[in-house]
Amino acid sequence: MRNHRTLAAMGIALSATVMLAACTSGSEAGGGDGPVEITMIGADLPEVFAPLIDAFEEENPEITVTYQNVPFDQYNNVLQQRIGGKDAGVDVYLADAGAIGSLATKGFLTDLSEYRDQVEESSLPATVEGNMFDGKLWALPMWTSLQYLYYNKSLLDAAGIAHPSIESDDRATWEDLTTDAKSAQAAGAEWGLLFDQTDRYYQLQALPESKGGGSGATGDDLLTADVTNDGWIESMKWYGSLFEDGVAPRGVETDQMVQLFAGGKAAYFVGGPWSLTPILEADSKVDYGIAPNPMFDGGTPAMPTGSWNIAISPATDALEASKKFIEFASLDAEGNAISAQEVIIPPTNVDSFSDYITKMDGQDAPNTDGMGELTLSELEDSAVNRPNTPGFTQMQDVLGRAFSDIRNGGDVEETLQKAQDELQGLWDRL
Amino acid sequence: MALPNQLATTPARKFAVTLLAWLAAIGFALPLLWMLAGSFRTGTDIFTNLYPLSWKLFIPTEVTFDNYATLMVGEFGLSVANSIFVTAVTVIVGLLICAMAAFALSILRFRGAAFVFALVVLSFLVPFDAIAVPLANLFRTWNLDNSYLGLILPGLANGFAIFVLRQFFMNIPLELAEAARVDGLGWWGIFWRIYLPLSKPALIGAGFTLFLFQWGAYLWPLMIGTEPSKVLGPIALANLAGQFEVDFGAIFAGAFLLTLVPLILLLIFQRQFTESLASTGTKG
Repeated sequence: MRNHRTLAAMGIALSATVMLAACTSGSEAGGGDGPVEITMIGADLPEVFAPLIDAFEEENPEITVTYQNVPFDQYNNVLQQRIGGKDAGVDVYLADAGAIGSLATKGFLTDLSEYRDQVEESSLPATVEGNMFDGKLWALPMWTSLQYLYYNKSLLDAAGIAHPSIESDDRATWEDLTTDAKSAQAAGAEWGLLFDQTDRYYQLQALPESKGGGSGATGDDLLTADVTNDGWIESMKWYGSLFEDGVAPRGVETDQMVQLFAGGKAAYFVGGPWSLTPILEADSKVDYGIAPNPMFDGGTPAMPTGSWNIAISPATDALEASKKFIEFASLDAEGNAISAQEVIIPPTNVDSFSDYITKMDGQDAPNTDGMGELTLSELEDSAVNRPNTPGFTQMQDVLGRAFSDIRNGGDVEETLQKAQDELQGLWDRL
Repeated sequence: MALPNQLATTPARKFAVTLLAWLAAIGFALPLLWMLAGSFRTGTDIFTNLYPLSWKLFIPTEVTFDNYATLMVGEFGLSVANSIFVTAVTVIVGLLICAMAAFALSILRFRGAAFVFALVVLSFLVPFDAIAVPLANLFRTWNLDNSYLGLILPGLANGFAIFVLRQFFMNIPLELAEAARVDGLGWWGIFWRIYLPLSKPALIGAGFTLFLFQWGAYLWPLMIGTEPSKVLGPIALANLAGQFEVDFGAIFAGAFLLTLVPLILLLIFQRQFTESLASTGTKG
């Protein structure tokens, strides 16, 4: 009998724990007329969004915003699982440029077309366009981005190489740059030319685009894979040769390259405005300069752009509060400027953007002299958006692996053919 | 398979075996040492000393404690505390559940025992990752997301731990249980007073299985517990890499701290753990 009593007692204790836990998490859902709590998810450190959330809460004391950070590499998959699973625990989330079509097709975004006139007035035109799909507006722009060519003045001087021009009209070609990079290495630089995001479509799309190879997504619905044309093959052969010839190291991954430039080990580095942070925080700062993103000889200028947009999950149970928050982060000039305060990245609100441009030159004068003007001309003339294909997530994954294979010595034609077949197979199922 | 001491029959062979053992040990230790060295240097220092390979890879030129200081102010400290709590509850409650199940499956005769055991074996043949997504959706509808219970529950009943314990219990002479029954001890008493004390190595082995499942869990907490107050260590570690800024020094320090806990536990329970590996299924 005794054992039965013990088992029964344990059973009761276990059920009590389950019920207690269920009550605890249930009470967090809140509701009623009282204060509203909304949750935002993104892929950056909480410190990045803390000023935005604080400023918003100050203006709207009845709304509390909780930020949840999801690691960047798993971000799209977690979105798929949580928004796809109709998780009412996510109200507002950040949607990557290029992913809007894909997210909208899956029903992961709330239609925000009511803001269309307002956002066209308040934000940079290209960033609004990136959030349109099927004639509707699905997210509000928050940040945009661009790439610069950073160069190490001391290493170029030691090799007797002229500094590249800061004028967009006079941008360097990848071919000349490779020759100069090798000369710099011969004169003592450990590495010649590095890319910030080695395997990411965001940065590498610009290479085939400059060679006339296009984005890789063609057809009316942008669901026909085209990554085996001459532009893609030639540009990727050039990219692979950087690693083959030792101009860039193979074992260093995306996000780690900037540390090599910041440490004075590389002659050239292609990175975003945010790359300034590690460069300025390095143990001993390198003497560097900034130039426009290069292009291929005989090709067209092409530079990556776009960044996070702010969107509302259709599963939200706090739609009005969520709308107030995204309005503040995008349409409100002050809110939009605060959102980009902790990261060096251009905000998309026209007023916040011009404010950002005027401050650019002073980021680290005299090294950053002319950076504001360059930012403007680059965003106007050579920015290429990611294709708004409904199959963007698959494209990013498949091509990311192809870039990695090419970087590690895989045959370019074979790798791209394999990637094209795989991607088309995935897209055909959509 | 011959054991090292069976191979080392002559001084020359002994030397060769020792040398091989040391080389293997160094091979395993090098990445850990690099991680430890990296935790005391800045991000730039870590990567600028990667090439060419030299002693500088393992000895920081300038030692800094900033990385550990960074970890103290962020969510990392709380996440380690969360990980320890979640793992400790999983191991204690999980061991009890698994041991009870193993006891029932090895000693008690009931209808369908073979079928239940087959289910248990099947459960550990299906990778957890394969069922994680639908399970996470279920947990969310039960309001178990962002709760300790939600993080702990999937780690409690572990098919492999039940299997290992059952095999061990089967090797304990049944006469002991029968004698105890004759003397008036109930099943619970037999389990608690006879089987558990005799099964320490197996319990430690099974405990490690539960521990490692929970301590290294990444996918599950990523889907079910990203609220700052419930974040676990591995997620907090991955969160140190923002899209625009990656604090490599802090990542190295965090990775070292997260490795330290299993390392210490293994050092303490090394003997029992090896015993459990050696004895499970072969003891007779």
